[in-house]
Amino acid sequence: MARRKLPWSQIIAFVAIASIVLAGVLAGVLAGASPQGILTNVGFYASIAIIFAILALGFNLQWGYTGLFNAGIAGFYLIGAYTMAIAITAPSPPIVIGGIPVYPGHLGGYSLPLAIGAILAMLAAGGAAAIIALPALRLRADYLAIATLAFASILQIFANNLQSVTGGAIGITGIPKPIAFLSADAPFLNAITIVGIGSAILLAFLLLLQFMAESPWGRVLRAVREDEEATMALGKNTFNYKLQAFALGGALMGLAGALFAVTLGYVSPSSSFAPAVTFSVWVMVIVGGSGNNRGVIVGAFLIYGLEWLSVQLKDYVPIALAAGLPTIRLLLIVTGFLAGIAVVLVVLLSRYWPTTPGGQVLRKIRGRGWARTVVIGAFALYGLGWAFVFLEQYKPGAIGDTIFYTRLMLIGVLLIILIIYRPEGILREHKRVLR
Amino acid sequence: MASESILRVDAIEKAFGGIQAVDRCSLTVLPRSITGLIGPNGAGKSTLFNIIAGLYRPDGGEIWFDGTRIDGLPPYEIVHLGLTKTWQIPHELRNLTVLENLVLAAKGNSGEHLLNLFFRPREVKRDEKQWRARAREVLKLTQLDGLANEHARTLSGGQKKLLELSRALMSDPTLVLLDEPVAGVNPALTGSLMDLIEKLRQSGRTFFLIEHDMNVVMNRCDWVIVMHQGRRIAEGRPEKVKTDPVVIESYLGG
Repeated sequence: MARRKLPWSQIIAFVAIASIVLAGVLAGVLAGASPQGILTNVGFYASIAIIFAILALGFNLQWGYTGLFNAGIAGFYLIGAYTMAIAITAPSPPIVIGGIPVYPGHLGGYSLPLAIGAILAMLAAGGAAAIIALPALRLRADYLAIATLAFASILQIFANNLQSVTGGAIGITGIPKPIAFLSADAPFLNAITIVGIGSAILLAFLLLLQFMAESPWGRVLRAVREDEEATMALGKNTFNYKLQAFALGGALMGLAGALFAVTLGYVSPSSSFAPAVTFSVWVMVIVGGSGNNRGVIVGAFLIYGLEWLSVQLKDYVPIALAAGLPTIRLLLIVTGFLAGIAVVLVVLLSRYWPTTPGGQVLRKIRGRGWARTVVIGAFALYGLGWAFVFLEQYKPGAIGDTIFYTRLMLIGVLLIILIIYRPEGILREHKRVLR
Repeated sequence: MASESILRVDAIEKAFGGIQAVDRCSLTVLPRSITGLIGPNGAGKSTLFNIIAGLYRPDGGEIWFDGTRIDGLPPYEIVHLGLTKTWQIPHELRNLTVLENLVLAAKGNSGEHLLNLFFRPREVKRDEKQWRARAREVLKLTQLDGLANEHARTLSGGQKKLLELSRALMSDPTLVLLDEPVAGVNPALTGSLMDLIEKLRQSGRTFFLIEHDMNVVMNRCDWVIVMHQGRRIAEGRPEKVKTDPVVIESYLGG
């Protein structure tokens, strides 16, 4: 009688992630990559997704739990990455060849152990978050967003221009791996160790955050999110809680930066720390379900998965499209013809015989929001199909060149659909039933 | 008389832009009383409550609570001194359950300090258990116990008012400011609520309430203060205030 409902949202999320990985593997097989190469590639996906998941956990603590909107995630990420790089690399003096400075050198090169580097990265990013928060958290929420956005932009400019500290535009290279493999399999073994270490860290912090966020302390954070003034009137020093949540979230972002530095082996003030990183993390938290730690991890694996997959598929989609062009065209013509007949029938039926099943179908479509959306969506998809066919026919390179960028549009469309139909995210925040 | 008051408001002023919401208002509340504050809309009653609770900073004047000067203190410190207020428009924490709303209102729950979670887990567990039990007791008093694990946003307007009162009781206050506690509450429950307040008064608490329900004010309060245009224009026993020509003209009407 009391049959347990299946956790559909979780099943859908895991199936989606699994299909992304599978499609990526398939693309590798099609390209004729070695099994080890494919695994290395999947390992890269996992390690970057883990990094984004840690960023998302940090942002979830700040925004999902406490309602603090951080628009400078990339800045704290950058601090973590550079702190790690400076702490664990070997000293690297400036290089001058023939009187021309080739590399400006960078601060330190202290050759510290990785674990200490990671702790320093967390302290630096968490400290920076606390310093930003001290003035900004006293203001209204919008100002915190502006302050953090500016902070992240300034940091990126610093990283580019403060050459003696950051190595300028070249950045810091030669960041050691957790284990120095010497064999020919080194890239594969490195990927595996980093995924292993990354998963362990992610799991540890998920458990820790779950413990903290579901405690009485976390309950005050959620209260601040709901209504800060009321929480203050309940006797809580809300500023302290906001400061703690913001600094701890910043420290997590620093840890993600440290992992990123080790994963890539170098840091540079490139697109890795651009505002787009911040926006990606927002999307991950919104899609996954803000206020749900497991949800934001799912969001990170899903959204980064789409990005990764689009890179894997970018060589195959144009080929497949060119090969499948006649089939697609035929399919469009046939479905168009059938759909046209169906529409005419339904309209005629509802006009002259409104009580028949056909007439009722139309009335149902008119009456229900989702049915209307489906119809409009089908029309849009149909039009898009023809647009693709014509483009492929008369401008063969166009789709292949733009497919890589269309992914951003796809992520945007996914976000819009999700916000309309499930604004609380894939894994929604659950109700805390106290015993 | 002033020396034995639990709350003394002395020449408090507050202006919003050009509007003088509270204009050198002075009043006192006696301990273990149920004091009513009435007056027309816009008289400055809620503003005065917000100033007393520390949510607004007054432009001038002093507020003394139980021998401590509290104007300028942040709201959370005032709560810890034993002064709690409820909101005219319910400020329920929407996406938290009713029980969570109540447990949050407890003072000195050790689990609300981050470090205690790691270094004093046993104390945290004990406190949390104790406060949950206390919250359930309070919910029984205010007849919300059936809704303990529902999201606060799902409550009706009257139930939200009850939630406000329940939260105020959780912090074990000596003085409770109630901003229209029975507005939107059904008549039967209004009676039992006021009985509850009367009972709590007998156990040593003081209530200072804004209310437009004249039945409640005239039958349940033992002292009534009337505000008009930011000032106190009259005060006295309910039956005396009821017949005061100034009050009739500005508020009660013919």
